[in-house]
Amino acid sequence: MAEGNSQPVVVEMRQIERRFGSVVALRGVDFTVRKGEVRALMGDNGAGKSTLIKVLTGVHTPTRGRIVFDGQQVVINSPADARALGIETVYQDLALVPLMSIWRNFFLGRELHKQVGPVRWLRKKEMSEQCRKSLHDIGIEIRSAEDKVGTLSGGERQSIAIGRAIHFGAKLLILDEPTSALSVAETQKVLTYIENAKDKGLPVIFITHNVNHIYQVSDSYTIIRQGEKVGTYQKGDLSQQDIADLITGAREK
Amino acid sequence: MDTIVRIRHRLADASELVVLISFLLVFLFFSIRAENFLSLVSLTNILTIASIKGIFVVGVAMLMISGEFDLSVGSILAVATFVFALSLEAGTAPLAALVLALAVSAVLGGINGLIVIRTGIPSFIATLGTMLAFRGIARAIGGADFARFTGEMPALFTGLNGEFTFINRLAVPAGSARMAIIWFLLFAVLAAVVMRNTRFGSWVYATGGSRAAAIAQGVKTKNVIAVNYIVTGLLAGFAGIVQFASRPAVDPLRGEGWELTAVAACVIGGIWLSGGYGTIVGAAVGMLLLQMVEQGLILLGVDVQLFQATIGLILILAVISNTYLSRQ
Repeated sequence: MAEGNSQPVVVEMRQIERRFGSVVALRGVDFTVRKGEVRALMGDNGAGKSTLIKVLTGVHTPTRGRIVFDGQQVVINSPADARALGIETVYQDLALVPLMSIWRNFFLGRELHKQVGPVRWLRKKEMSEQCRKSLHDIGIEIRSAEDKVGTLSGGERQSIAIGRAIHFGAKLLILDEPTSALSVAETQKVLTYIENAKDKGLPVIFITHNVNHIYQVSDSYTIIRQGEKVGTYQKGDLSQQDIADLITGAREK
Repeated sequence: MDTIVRIRHRLADASELVVLISFLLVFLFFSIRAENFLSLVSLTNILTIASIKGIFVVGVAMLMISGEFDLSVGSILAVATFVFALSLEAGTAPLAALVLALAVSAVLGGINGLIVIRTGIPSFIATLGTMLAFRGIARAIGGADFARFTGEMPALFTGLNGEFTFINRLAVPAGSARMAIIWFLLFAVLAAVVMRNTRFGSWVYATGGSRAAAIAQGVKTKNVIAVNYIVTGLLAGFAGIVQFASRPAVDPLRGEGWELTAVAACVIGGIWLSGGYGTIVGAAVGMLLLQMVEQGLILLGVDVQLFQATIGLILILAVISNTYLSRQ
């Protein structure tokens, strides 16, 4: 369980406990992610991995425990709080508006504009160009930033959402089951983008239950079972079978 | 290469395409078949009447793009007109009466917005309720009777809905072009520019297109919806006042059924019932098309009952073709 990475800690969650009424979803979980690390967060359905991430992204507040982000103890009460800190989450489906163009999606909620009295006049050309360039920089090629997101494949949509998070200076990128609905080829592409993000020093938390995918890109794995952390393991510590066994509880630590 | 790409985007984005083509075909049809259709009196009549309804269609279109309905526009229009008429008759200065009526319209629109935002019930139901409630208010303040303005026409009326005599006298019988046309044009262009070029416009499309995604990106969807309801209320009230300014009498049933005309105009104009797609220009042309059909059928001597059936048929055909095109 050694943390083999000597990079600075980006986020440290300590003794996080979360109850829903009488149900204990998380029982004092410690979770630390360092700069430039791709961390897979794994667990079966209902194990508590989603709850842990929702605590980090402000969807849930912890019943007990504390969060240190970038060296500061923080209270994250809403998704907006998380975003202000630089925690960007890419959800499976609800990240983009299919009927809107790529650049409008890219800048949605953070539009570049010129203030003319009460009117926020969009700098459309600038946004379109910046969007294209920014996606190009992380290896995502689009035909045109004017294309509607609805015309893109699932993998392309994920990549736009990832590119957007990187562009807006995310300090921590969380990907919630990014590959679960994708074809094999598409998944490969998304995994490449994750590696690109890592190369830029951006830490990534990658939530999945597909052991294959995490084996390829993750530096370390945290496994959660029944609201408790089973452990954090470095790449190469475990075989794929070991991971699967730890997730299901077929094997204890 | 670049131009080909651009043309493709233009076409893919042209949600108004169906309504524009339909408009031209229907126009052509009536021009050939209906005697006197291409006369000044007929064309200005279409424009002026379509424009009065078009003023609130602009608001309803913005609401529908943000994913919400407003079935209460006809009732708000009636309340505003009664407030305007009764305060004028009570001796209020015309401008003060106008401001008062518009303030009431904004409040009624705001009530719609508040109900939809706070309760989360579907706006179709919420505004069906306020449609009945506001109609009740209109009846109550009017004493279930007509309200007329019998004094000398104030100068304000000319600005609101004065005649363009220089156009109307170009032919015999005289035309009926009025200021309403300018108001409609003004609001439609203004709204179209806002929807395309401002942050608010982008947020309206996002709110209707995928509310969860919009919220996740920090779009204040509730503000968007509230603003749209208030704007729609204001436009409905203003439309009523403009109409009153040309013929200063109002009955308790004023505006009844117009809420559905507005929805029909929007849908024919290419706006999706589910929101997120369509344009103000499309809805505006949709309104002109509906009014043109009404006028054309009257000129053909078609039964009034058949008129509604025709509108229904056009509505269904428009939805089918829009759905087909948007799959491409």
